[in-house]
Amino acid sequence: MLSRLIHTSCTEQTEQAGAALAQRMLGESLPPFVALYGDLGVGKTAFVRGFASVLCPGSPVRSPTFSLVYEHRGRVKDLFHFDMYRITDEDDLYSIGFDDYLARDGICLVEWSENIPYAIPPHHIAVTIEKNDPCDPQSRLIRIEERKEPPC
Amino acid sequence: MLILALDSTAVAASVALLRDGAPLASFHVNNGNTHSETLLPMTKALLEATGYTVDDVDVFACSVGPGSFTGVRIGAATVKGLAFGKDKPVIGVSTLEALARNLLPATGLICPVMNARRSQVYNALFRADGEQLTRLCADRALSIGELDAELSEINEPFYLVGDGAALTVASLKRVHPLPTSEIAVEQNAISVAKAAHLLYLAGARTDDAELKPVYLRLPQAERERLERQAKNATTKGEA
Repeated sequence: MLSRLIHTSCTEQTEQAGAALAQRMLGESLPPFVALYGDLGVGKTAFVRGFASVLCPGSPVRSPTFSLVYEHRGRVKDLFHFDMYRITDEDDLYSIGFDDYLARDGICLVEWSENIPYAIPPHHIAVTIEKNDPCDPQSRLIRIEERKEPPC
Repeated sequence: MLILALDSTAVAASVALLRDGAPLASFHVNNGNTHSETLLPMTKALLEATGYTVDDVDVFACSVGPGSFTGVRIGAATVKGLAFGKDKPVIGVSTLEALARNLLPATGLICPVMNARRSQVYNALFRADGEQLTRLCADRALSIGELDAELSEINEPFYLVGDGAALTVASLKRVHPLPTSEIAVEQNAISVAKAAHLLYLAGARTDDAELKPVYLRLPQAERERLERQAKNATTKGEA
C-alpha cells in the first residue's frame, strides 16, 4: 500500500511531489482516483500542475473552481481535474457528469474532496496538504495514502 | 415509414433504423462514454449503408433517460437538432421500457436495472405477455437492497436486463433472476425504435421543443433536498 509523508518548502517542491505521484501511477497498479484535501491556497492546484506535467506535458493547469472540471488529453491516460468547492449536494454532482468521468479510462484528480465524501470510490489515493510551520508560510506537509475504504 | 432511433443513455451507444415497424439496420458501440464523438458518425454510416439520407426519416426517436447525465443530454440534444433541422416529429421513450422490450416476446416479470452508482439503480417493473408489455410502476431510483426486498416480496421468477444487471445479480441476497441472453442485456436502439413505433401508431408524438430529458433524483439527493427544505422552513419560522 502506497503511503508517503513529504515535506516541501516552496511551490516548486509541491509540484515535484505531484509529478512523483504521477510517475508512480503510470508505473504501478494504483487506483486512478486521487482525492485532494486541504485549505484554500495550500497548494492543491500546484500539486496537480506537477502531476499534469508528467501525464500531459504542455497542457496548462488552472484552478477549475468556476469551470468545475478541466479535461487534459494525455499520451497514455487522460486527466480529469475537478474542483468540488462549489458542489454542495449529489444533484450538483450528477449534473456535472461526475459518474460519467469515473467510467472513462482516465485519472481523476479531485480538489475539495471534503465536499463529496459519499462519492469517493472505495479504492482511491488520498492526498492531504497542510501548512505545518507557523513561522514559515511556505512550508507544507503532504500526506499521500492509498486507501481501500470510502471516507464515509 | 422510417424511424431513426438513438440510445446513448449509458456506456454503450446505438443507432437503429426501423422501416414500417421492422428493424432495417442498427449500429452498436461499447467503447466508453464518447457519445458526443460517435453518435453522429454512426447515424451517418447507418443511413449511407441502407441507401437513405436524413431527409427520408419520418420520425426521430431517442431514449430520454433515466441514465448517465451526459449520455441522456447527448441523445436528446442530437435528436432535437435533427428534428428541428428537418421539421419532423420526435418521440421520446423511457430507457427502462426500451430495455424491457429487448426480451420480447416473453412471459413473466421483467426488471430492467441501470447502474446509478454507489449501489443504486434506475429501475421499473414490467409484465410481459408475448409482445404485450405492461408497466407495473413508474421509473425510479432506488438502492439494490430496496429492490432485493421488493422482489422477494413479489416472489415470482423475473428477468434482469440493463447495464446494472451484473452488479445487481452480485448484490441480490434473497432472489435470483432467470437467465437472459447477453445480447438482450445492453440497451439497444432497435427496442427504442419499436417502442417509438407503437407510440406513433397510438398518435403520441411531439416536436424538438417539447422533448424533455428525464433525470431521476437519486435517493441520497432527494434526502438532501428534503433536509434543505426542512431547514429553510425552520429558518423562516424563526424569522
